[in-house]
Amino acid sequence: MEAIIHMENVNKWFGSLHVLKDINLDVQKGEVVVVIGPSGSGKSTLIRTINRLEEIQKGRIVVDGIELNRDVRNIDAVRKEVGMVFQSFNLFPHMTVLENITLAPRIVRKWPREKAEQIAMELLERVDIADQAEKYPAQLSGGQQQRVAIARALAMQPKIMLFDEPTSALDPEMVGEVLDAMKELARSGMTMLVVTHEMGFAREVADRVIFMDMGEIIEEGEPDQVFSNPRHERTQAFLARILH
Amino acid sequence: MRVLKALAWSVVALAALAVGYVVFFDGIEAVLRWYFTVTNFTASKVPNFAHNLRLGAEVTIKLTVISSITGLILGLFAGIARLSKNPLFRWPAQFYVWVIRGTPLLVQILFAYNALPFLLEPLWKYLQPLGVPPIQDVLTPYWAAFIALSVNVGAYNAEVIRAGIQAIAKGQWEAAMSLGMRPFQVMRYIIVPQAIKIVVPPLVNNVIALLKDSSLASVITLLELVHQGQRMISITFRPVEVYIAVAAIYLILTTVLTFFTDWLERALARRGAAV
Ligand SMILES: Nc1ncnc2c1ncn2[C@@H]1O[C@H](COP(=O)(O)OP(=O)(O)O)[C@@H](O)[C@H]1O
Ligand SMILES: [Mg+2]
Repeated sequence: MEAIIHMENVNKWFGSLHVLKDINLDVQKGEVVVVIGPSGSGKSTLIRTINRLEEIQKGRIVVDGIELNRDVRNIDAVRKEVGMVFQSFNLFPHMTVLENITLAPRIVRKWPREKAEQIAMELLERVDIADQAEKYPAQLSGGQQQRVAIARALAMQPKIMLFDEPTSALDPEMVGEVLDAMKELARSGMTMLVVTHEMGFAREVADRVIFMDMGEIIEEGEPDQVFSNPRHERTQAFLARILH
Repeated sequence: MRVLKALAWSVVALAALAVGYVVFFDGIEAVLRWYFTVTNFTASKVPNFAHNLRLGAEVTIKLTVISSITGLILGLFAGIARLSKNPLFRWPAQFYVWVIRGTPLLVQILFAYNALPFLLEPLWKYLQPLGVPPIQDVLTPYWAAFIALSVNVGAYNAEVIRAGIQAIAKGQWEAAMSLGMRPFQVMRYIIVPQAIKIVVPPLVNNVIALLKDSSLASVITLLELVHQGQRMISITFRPVEVYIAVAAIYLILTTVLTFFTDWLERALARRGAAV
């Protein structure tokens, strides 16, 4: 079966800083992959190359059969298929929740307003905040904002969802509600690439855990194997640190 | 239907603006007439004096309005160009802002009136046979002042707009791009609406400064408010009363503009909660 995300010898530099080193990664349709690793190891950069928020200097990335290169049409096509959720939510503060969600479907997918709003309301229902549709982001809690951000990304009906530390900016009591929404999404068969240190989430829904350090994929495997029985000593050292 | 409604509203607003304009300046003229009467100017000359000052104020306001609009467009292009990755856009914009902000407006006005005709003469050799009037007839004091003021305020606006766009977090761009929006759409739907709230107050400040600075155009014989005042003084030898009148008119115009800004700021704040 052909991978929905195919990364081949991907290399990325920020100036002279080599942040991604010969990354090879295939993600299958419906797979949930969790990426862990110390701060600065290149996790964000890795997932941001998949919708070309970051350009790569060497290697190949193919998303759902579309080659990511300089061709703007390909970049647009990939971005329509790939949703992204950020650590800092990045909702549009001048728009209501409903407008946040319907904007891209209306102007990128060219859906009529009624269709976009109907689907937005279904998604808000799904992440359990339909009653907040007319509010502005600033009026919501962090957990609610992040669930709106998830609904906003889903409204484009992506085939792949990227999450960059979606719960790191949240107060502890709000982490659960966001993780619940993500678990539900994982169970629905969405292909997901998630940077997170939430071990519980990884154990529950991840098919695979990838450990990154200094721009390299050091180790990968099933969650239980990586967490309980890490092969590489750098993984062991990292897990020892975050488990306390 | 919505287009029609917008059109109808624009017509109504324009009509209201036109009526308001006439009423406003008629009011100013009436007050001036009363003022020059109680300050004992020659009774037979009062209507003439009041009318001339009113005409000067109208020139000042019209010049300010058209220069502001042109300067806004110039500033928008130059401000966005300054942020471009492409040096072909960025460098000319940077050069423009650097030159204009680094030289006195008075020099720019004198340049537009006295030097620009010489520079444009070669071009006019080709244009005149096509029926374009001679350069001296085109670059009247009014249009020379218009060019200098527009170009001047455009450079200051460019800086305001550049800063406003930069103030909007990178995360907004990234979120919008990740949803598949094209750069133009990101600008149109995400950046500009947020930037407007940031840039409107300093942009209106630039307009208020422009209104006052337009008085410099009196040096190229433009009959705006200050020059009309000076002509009146050379006839009456009453600088105290005349300059007080001139200053009061400026004060009224800038105060009206300030009220307008306050209203606009509140209207913008009402659309969308605080960031
Ligand atoms: N825009 C950027 N310019 C320069 N260096 C960057 C930029 N973004 C990230 N980096 C650097 O790249 C490295 C990897 O960063 P990142 O992918 O954010 O790591 P992680 O998400 O694992 O914490 C870090 O050393 C970081 O400082
Ligand atoms: Mg990161």
